[in-house]
Amino acid sequence: MAKEFWRWKEYNWHDENRDWREGKIVTSGVDVGSVSSQAVIMVDGELYAFSNMRTGSNSPDSAHNAMNWALEDTGMTLDDFNFVVGTGYGRVNVPFADKAITEIACHARGGNYMYGPTVRTILDMGGQDCKAILCDERGKVTNFLMNDKCAAGTGRGMEVFADLLGVSIEDVGDLSFDVEEEPPPVSSTCVVFAKSEAASLLREGWSQSKVLAAYCSAMAHRVFTLLERVGVQKDFAITGGIGKNSGVVKRLEQELGLTALTAKHDTQIAGALGAALFGKALVEKGKGRKK
Amino acid sequence: MFSKFEEWYRDRHDYARAWKEKSSGKVFGCFCSYVPEEILVAANILPVRVLGSHEPQDVTEPHLFGMFCPFCRDVLAQGLKGRYEYLDGITLAQSCIHLRQAYRSWEQHVDQPFSYYLPHPMSVQSPAAVPYLREELENYKKAVEEFTGSKITNDDLDRGIRILNENREAMHELYKHRIGPEPKLSGKEAMWVTVSSTWIDKEEHTAEIRRVLKLIEEREMDRECGAKLMFVGSENDDIEFINMVESVGATVVVDDHCTGTRYFWNSTADDMNDRIEAIAKRYVERPACPSKDHPVRTRFPHILKLAKDFDVQGVILIQQKFCDPHEADMVPLRKYLEENDIPCLFLEFDVTVPLGPFRIRVEAFLEMVGEEDLF
Repeated sequence: MAKEFWRWKEYNWHDENRDWREGKIVTSGVDVGSVSSQAVIMVDGELYAFSNMRTGSNSPDSAHNAMNWALEDTGMTLDDFNFVVGTGYGRVNVPFADKAITEIACHARGGNYMYGPTVRTILDMGGQDCKAILCDERGKVTNFLMNDKCAAGTGRGMEVFADLLGVSIEDVGDLSFDVEEEPPPVSSTCVVFAKSEAASLLREGWSQSKVLAAYCSAMAHRVFTLLERVGVQKDFAITGGIGKNSGVVKRLEQELGLTALTAKHDTQIAGALGAALFGKALVEKGKGRKK
Repeated sequence: MFSKFEEWYRDRHDYARAWKEKSSGKVFGCFCSYVPEEILVAANILPVRVLGSHEPQDVTEPHLFGMFCPFCRDVLAQGLKGRYEYLDGITLAQSCIHLRQAYRSWEQHVDQPFSYYLPHPMSVQSPAAVPYLREELENYKKAVEEFTGSKITNDDLDRGIRILNENREAMHELYKHRIGPEPKLSGKEAMWVTVSSTWIDKEEHTAEIRRVLKLIEEREMDRECGAKLMFVGSENDDIEFINMVESVGATVVVDDHCTGTRYFWNSTADDMNDRIEAIAKRYVERPACPSKDHPVRTRFPHILKLAKDFDVQGVILIQQKFCDPHEADMVPLRKYLEENDIPCLFLEFDVTVPLGPFRIRVEAFLEMVGEEDLF
């Protein structure tokens, strides 16, 4: 079987130094996105466990799989949750969720947790859409803008390029800087047209790095215009898978004249994190699940 | 309670055909809400607003520029497909060039005995606007008289003005039931009423509103109100969209659409000797379409007042793709409303709307204007 260059790291994690049974409020957020799914478990508002995996063809199954993987080796079961929030495009198809909340609200709240209360602009670069979100010091959305009509400038587009060029998706960012000078961006941002444009550039003798630089730069410019429309306020941070791609992040920072905050957590779990935090807030307001 | 309006909304063509058969009268298609219906009603003509059907089509490509709006495209498609075959005449009151092109193409390619292009002042704030429109309305009246073979008397005009005004008053009374913490009707129901009023015999329509008004006080909605929203934009008769918005925790309580409040908000004076001047004044002074709202921006404070009077928590700004007059307004209007603490969500409409992608935007907007429990 041919190597799947698009494959990003799927993994799970839990805090082995903590005993969740000592916590009072156990909540979970499950983000079933178009490309990836995450389940985050929080104990008293602190990250305890999570999983990050590919979304399958069926949203309820993806939710179950992500949750089971996050629960692995924790001794916890679904019955131990005080509240579960579903988010992402499959948010209404999380069978064990108590509430569905949009990923826009969840990324703002998750971004606030990951980057601190000074963050005002969050760019969520997801699998098939991009969202520029403005929020207040609590992580509440004050304005937002989503890309329309096409998936250009999103994770799926980057996966297609990784496969086309035979470069592991995790190496795309670094490799895109291995150029003598920055090439002009590919002119098409539509994934399908950009792919054919890239194929012609390769035929013309462009190196992998040069094509990647041209694509990362086009992607950065596309999301830059989205951010411009909503109006970027400091501090600025990126969530979603593309947040891990330095080729896009650094070029975007350059266009914005701003440095994005960095997080110690995986940027892909921001939505599920926010969802779990909303669950905690609801439990504290007496709106939790009766155990 | 609103099933009659729903039926009228759905079976608009059946209604018009039945009306024609029953009354032996004539039916005119109106392009744009600036057509002076008082004159048509005075001539015993049924005015019907020509709207689209929200179906993808492939018949208008040779007729309209690619950057013309989906609404004018959808309107023309109805004519080219023969859906308005019962019309005896059409009238366009000038407002935008997109709809004018749809009208011109319709006039050329769809067979109907009467067609009239009614010049309507773009500078409605000019002192010359009323006298100008008055003259144009006189000409229009004469053309209608020649077509029907009957004189339109002052008594006829009085009747036309009365019938239109009665419908407008009834609509106002109904809209009052959308104010307050528990609106008595949903935005979808209101849309059935307002949009159908643009093609149903006005007296029949008014009678049905009056019937509803007698019962509505006792009505309890079978759903929670949720966030109260306002829609602002050009034409909007998209039931699927408003239904989706109201299914995710909101009620639309007021609008600024030419198929909504702009259509019926002001009345025609019934105490002027010169009836035609009274009608001209009404159409010059009505809540403006952005194509005519210059140099003073009258619609901004008007929209804000509606938003405040109906106590809305947010506004959905709906723009038909490529609609230049509305597009030019969207940025300053949004700024103006947000400066007045009214959050806005901007959505671009096409002939069909992508309900899934719009749903997440609307849900996120509702979370933004409410959901304090989450923090």
